Amino acid sequence: MKKTTIIIFLASLLIFAQNSDVKAQCKQQMVYRCATEGKNAIYLRDFNTKLKKTKPDKESGTKWTVVLNAGTVYRFILCTPQGFEDKVVLTLYDSQNPEKTNPLNSTIKAKGSIFNFVCRKSGMYYVSIRFKKDKGDSKTCAVGILSYVGKNQ
Amino acid sequence: MIKKILFYIILLTALFTCNCNEIDDEDEIDYFPEDELFETEIIDTGPIDRIISSFSTSVEMAAVIENLNVPFSKNYIVPANVANNYETNFKKALGLGFYSSDLGYLNIYKKTNSILEYLKVIKRLSDDLDIDQFFDFQTLKRLATNREDLDSLMFLSVSSYNRMSKNLRETSRSDLSALMVTGVWLEGLYLACKVNNFKPTQDLKERIGSQKVILRDLMDVIKFFKKKPDFAKLIRDFEQIEEAYEEVTITIEKGKKEEIMIDGIPTTVQGDFTVVTVSDEQLKEISELIIKIRNKLISY
Repeated sequence: MKKTTIIIFLASLLIFAQNSDVKAQCKQQMVYRCATEGKNAIYLRDFNTKLKKTKPDKESGTKWTVVLNAGTVYRFILCTPQGFEDKVVLTLYDSQNPEKTNPLNSTIKAKGSIFNFVCRKSGMYYVSIRFKKDKGDSKTCAVGILSYVGKNQ
Repeated sequence: MIKKILFYIILLTALFTCNCNEIDDEDEIDYFPEDELFETEIIDTGPIDRIISSFSTSVEMAAVIENLNVPFSKNYIVPANVANNYETNFKKALGLGFYSSDLGYLNIYKKTNSILEYLKVIKRLSDDLDIDQFFDFQTLKRLATNREDLDSLMFLSVSSYNRMSKNLRETSRSDLSALMVTGVWLEGLYLACKVNNFKPTQDLKERIGSQKVILRDLMDVIKFFKKKPDFAKLIRDFEQIEEAYEEVTITIEKGKKEEIMIDGIPTTVQGDFTVVTVSDEQLKEISELIIKIRNKLISY
């Protein structure tokens, strides 16, 4: 009976230890640091994800849907741990402006980790955070921040 | 005995490795060693959950109102004592949405005296719904009491709301998350209608009218839970709102995208734009209905 208990305990420990690390995202402190980079903008929500190591021809990342309102200036910020600044991309797109071919904007297009978007059409949009092409050689996490800058003048 | 051991191992494996509801890009599994940069979190992204999460902006409408230089009014928010009457989880989750939106309004106008009162209400509701671990009441209370670092207070208030709503979805209580989102949306629209009655502007008129698009998605969400207790009544109320919006027309015009700089930050000005046509009569009808339904929902 003692042996049985030990086996069960070890098995559960092993399984749980592996699984508990599967869905790792950036810590809340990093989300806060990223949100404060928005300067005079009001934090609305964050996009927090893990990025798993990928082979050169594969993709890793996450996409989210987000409702944006016409007449509003939004700010998007991407934050990554040190050493990953040039390896990750945040993209804003919709059904008419596909992620791969013609996104509304991205941190690649903006040549930095921050860009504004003046929304003139209310509705559903998508935000994705992925490794840039051939940059997924080691795993990491990344945070995107959506904040409110003001109304469009 | 061996059978018994195998049974336990299979059971534990099933318990700890089930990645139910994982879809799309979030289903990649990898081994992550412990690292101080990371924390563990379970992600659940069913199609309806993704729509619910897309609404998570408990502070946006208040920020729009503040931009219009409209003075603060406590008459626009739900009195704190009303929450004492919320007995069911349905009412508590919907109330949590109303109060989270009101907390956003108080935060935007830096009304730290009232914030504490509303933090207590939200704490109580989140306790009852067992999501209080995502509402850091002590830190929020300290920030509000000391009136220091109001940006942190704002961040923590909004992120707490987002995390509470997310946790409900992750723990198979998406119906309650949907109610929080519904409460936030309705309270935000109520605020816009009240302010527009007081100080009408073209901006607010269009913003209220353009909610027709958002309402369509919100209807999909609440109709998804039509078999859950009390949702039928809520759907009937929202169908009335949908009806009031029927004559509002929204068209998309083609335009040319522009790239400019705002405060030294690269900015994309969207090319296509929405044209909202809403008459004063339609706006009046929508406003009256929103106010009526919101007042009914906060009190029943």
